[in-house]
Amino acid sequence: MKGYVKYFSGKLVWFLITLVAAFVLNFVLPRLMPGDPVAIITQRTVQGMASQAGIQKVYQQYAELFGTNKPIHEQFIIYIQNILKGDFGLSFSQYPRPVADILKSSIWWTVALQFPAIILGWLIGNTLGALAAYLKKGFDKVIMPVSIFISNLPAFGMAVVLLVIFGVKLAWFPTSGGYGFDMIPNLSWGFIWSVIVHYQLPFWSIVLIAIGGQAIGMRSMAIYELNADYVKYSRFLGIKDRTTIKYVFRNAMLPQITGLALSIGTMIGGALVAEVIFSYPGLGSTILTAVMGQDYPLISAVTLIIALMVLSATFLIEILYGFIDPRIKAAQTD
Amino acid sequence: MKKRILLILSLVLILSMFLAACQPETQEAVQEAVEEVAEEVEEAVEEVEEEVAEEVEEEVAEETEEAAAAGPDLDPAEVAASLPREETVYIAGLQWSAVVGWNPYSSANNNAMGIAAGSNARVPIFETPYMYNMINGEQIPLLADGPWTWNDDMTEITFTLKDAAMWSDGTPVTAEDVAYTWATHVKYETTAGVGYGDYIDNVEAMDDKTVVVKAKLDEDGNAINPLLLKAYVSSEYVVQKAWTEILEARAGNDATALKEDPALDFVSSGPYTKFYDDDQKVVYIRDDNYWGQDASMWGALPVPKYLAHTIYADNNAGFLALKAGEVDVSQQFNANVQDLWLVDNLPISTWMEEAPYGLTASLPTAYFNLESFGLDNIAVRKAIAYAVDYDTIIANAMTNQSPTFDQVPRSVMNPTAGEQALYDQEAVADLQWVGNDIEGANAILDEAGIVDTDGDGWRELDGQKLSYNAVCPNGWSDWQAAMEIVAAAGEKIGIEITTLYPEWGVYQTVFVNGDQQEYDIFMVWSDGAGPTQPWGRVRQLMYGQFAETQGNWNGNWGGYINPRIDEIVNEIPSVTDQDRLVELYTEATEIYLTDIPSFTLMYRPDQFYTVNETIWTNYPSAEDGRNIPPMNLLDGFSIAGLYELELVNP
Repeated sequence: MKGYVKYFSGKLVWFLITLVAAFVLNFVLPRLMPGDPVAIITQRTVQGMASQAGIQKVYQQYAELFGTNKPIHEQFIIYIQNILKGDFGLSFSQYPRPVADILKSSIWWTVALQFPAIILGWLIGNTLGALAAYLKKGFDKVIMPVSIFISNLPAFGMAVVLLVIFGVKLAWFPTSGGYGFDMIPNLSWGFIWSVIVHYQLPFWSIVLIAIGGQAIGMRSMAIYELNADYVKYSRFLGIKDRTTIKYVFRNAMLPQITGLALSIGTMIGGALVAEVIFSYPGLGSTILTAVMGQDYPLISAVTLIIALMVLSATFLIEILYGFIDPRIKAAQTD
Repeated sequence: MKKRILLILSLVLILSMFLAACQPETQEAVQEAVEEVAEEVEEAVEEVEEEVAEEVEEEVAEETEEAAAAGPDLDPAEVAASLPREETVYIAGLQWSAVVGWNPYSSANNNAMGIAAGSNARVPIFETPYMYNMINGEQIPLLADGPWTWNDDMTEITFTLKDAAMWSDGTPVTAEDVAYTWATHVKYETTAGVGYGDYIDNVEAMDDKTVVVKAKLDEDGNAINPLLLKAYVSSEYVVQKAWTEILEARAGNDATALKEDPALDFVSSGPYTKFYDDDQKVVYIRDDNYWGQDASMWGALPVPKYLAHTIYADNNAGFLALKAGEVDVSQQFNANVQDLWLVDNLPISTWMEEAPYGLTASLPTAYFNLESFGLDNIAVRKAIAYAVDYDTIIANAMTNQSPTFDQVPRSVMNPTAGEQALYDQEAVADLQWVGNDIEGANAILDEAGIVDTDGDGWRELDGQKLSYNAVCPNGWSDWQAAMEIVAAAGEKIGIEITTLYPEWGVYQTVFVNGDQQEYDIFMVWSDGAGPTQPWGRVRQLMYGQFAETQGNWNGNWGGYINPRIDEIVNEIPSVTDQDRLVELYTEATEIYLTDIPSFTLMYRPDQFYTVNETIWTNYPSAEDGRNIPPMNLLDGFSIAGLYELELVNP
């Protein structure tokens, strides 16, 4: 038990240190980008304004409002104070909308799209990979090249292919949006159906890519394990194939679980391509507009969420490993 | 067991994809089934309901009264769970992220389909006294009754309001509302307040319906700039005084709070009001009590009951939707727009059937940084400007959606008839180059003694090689294509020009600084059409006061100084004599084409205008004689188009 406590507390300390570092970087990095977000907003609002002094005044008003005219360390202190109060501030690019409001309305779309897609892609990919390793021959000869091909397609390539084939040419699915362009959200069958239909293309564009990578990884792990000494030995002992296979895949699964955790952690960034190409609402497209508009508060908030998710995912995995695979804990507490 | 679960899971997913693919039939079938069940349940419930009904009735009556008093806060989904296609006009290309507010005092609303004050103020929700018609420069009365008038000194504009003009709460629009709107702009330093504050002294109500806009005066007692008063009456919205006071109270009279308020409870005078908005769309609904159906204004309600705008991630998504018939009016640059009807045979059209397809009004322009070595030399500027192949820019970058410089010779005017009539073309014909004149450009340089002295293929001036960058924001593909052609022209005349495409966020912090050394030849848009044009554009292109200033959003980014231009710019606003105006504009054009502080690369519409006639037809077009400008059926007099629409299948 003592070993576990030492192992977990060590992990926790590192988790906290990384979190603090990520927090500082989240604040500093966006502000190091060249350019001036206040000038962007000013330019947007003063189009066609004849008075030069007036334009300067508008600029000053915004600089004052967003605090960008203060030294960066003062801005950071204000930022921390606000975050501790749960206040992410006002978005620059969607001023005067609060950042929290933007996140609230978009995060669920991303989670609902990405989470099932990652899980499903992971399940199918691993099953196919394992089958390819076990069945070999014809099955492997088909699965392997197809997986390599698919996993090497860039995400936007897959999305565009699906968009052109199923959205534009065959017109089976809509090309953009999270629900029908003529709908007002409501609890009716027609609306739910519309959401389901709009869900398909972005969903499968993520699943297909995930399948390929997972299948390749699982296949090589499984092949490696199938040739391990313990497998030969258990065959030698006459243990049933079925039982051996169980052990093999359990062992082959370990690195795959890390992969799963990480892809769940990074799903917001991964959502960007599918969301942008299919005009699907969600955090991915929010990040894009935030970066383009140098929207510091929004960028910081989104990257903070990503950092938290990645860190929590890896932390949980490390903890889980402590239980699943005692070797890891043992190695690290020595 | 696990395998079976997996198998079932996969089957379910495949099935859902399959079902989704054959949506209509399945959906109907399921819907029928659902409806049947619903009916049964309803019957059962009805019995119980009747008993309860009587008791509840009284309560409901009370609640309804309260609700009515609070305003028409209806649940959109109850009114229309899906918008009837034949009652909705879909617009694209204006709104690119979620709507953040409805506040007419805030210039940061990002509610682009409805709220955009300015030269061609958008008027479906809030209204201006006059609507600007960019085709002929007329200001057509909207809230106002008849044309406005100057006093004798041209220091005051007077107009009256229509008796019929009403707010959405049923109270009349009064002169006091107009005056109070101005006072609020000034008090809270809104964009309009600081923008017009240098030119407008006050807006006063003479009686219930009569408004006077008073100019700020210079030392001699003349209006500082009468043009800005003229612009004000068609550029800025009238807001209700009573509602403004509610807003002020809510904001505690704090300027920031007032401008940040999303104003969900707004009172307006226009034909549409808010209906629904989220991250994916915004929908307005017609106010069937709109005052404008009075005979003194439109005599009818606008045809579509709903105006909707889907928020697309990018141009391409909006373009696909236009092709799919999900967009009726598109304000996007659609490359090779003619292919939509010539190749795809879609019922899509533009303002004109032939190139340039639209009504161009602005002049994307490349500025020479006069601080850069050699660019202070007229011969160098002239040679570069003469050598550029503008026809290729127009054909490639704009896919011919701009007239060529043969069709509309270069000047400081946009191609609209109103502006073209403001200068004497013959007087400057010798100066108007068409471009791609490599020989001429080389001759100019040779004559000026700017030759290649060291044999490296590039010309030198005083022993120093002429080398420049040509800059525009990254991702602005038509501009980037133009800059490539400028660079190619440089190569042909022995001047090294390399392209540079910084991100917009960076670009717009550099070129606005008068002493910047980073960009040599760089592109900026120009003013389009408006009540202060083409004066505003002359000022933008050459006004000396803007030269070498910091945070300069006004113009003259190359730092050109010519006292004569400054005199002309100062004189024009007060000139009423047409001949004198033409004289001054011709002189300004002559100076511009001689000194070439910058050069126009193409013409561009104020708003792109592509319409889909799958559902609606009778859109305004160039040849229909109605004089309704192609501005999305929302901007200024363009809104008249909404009263003219007809269904393809009535």
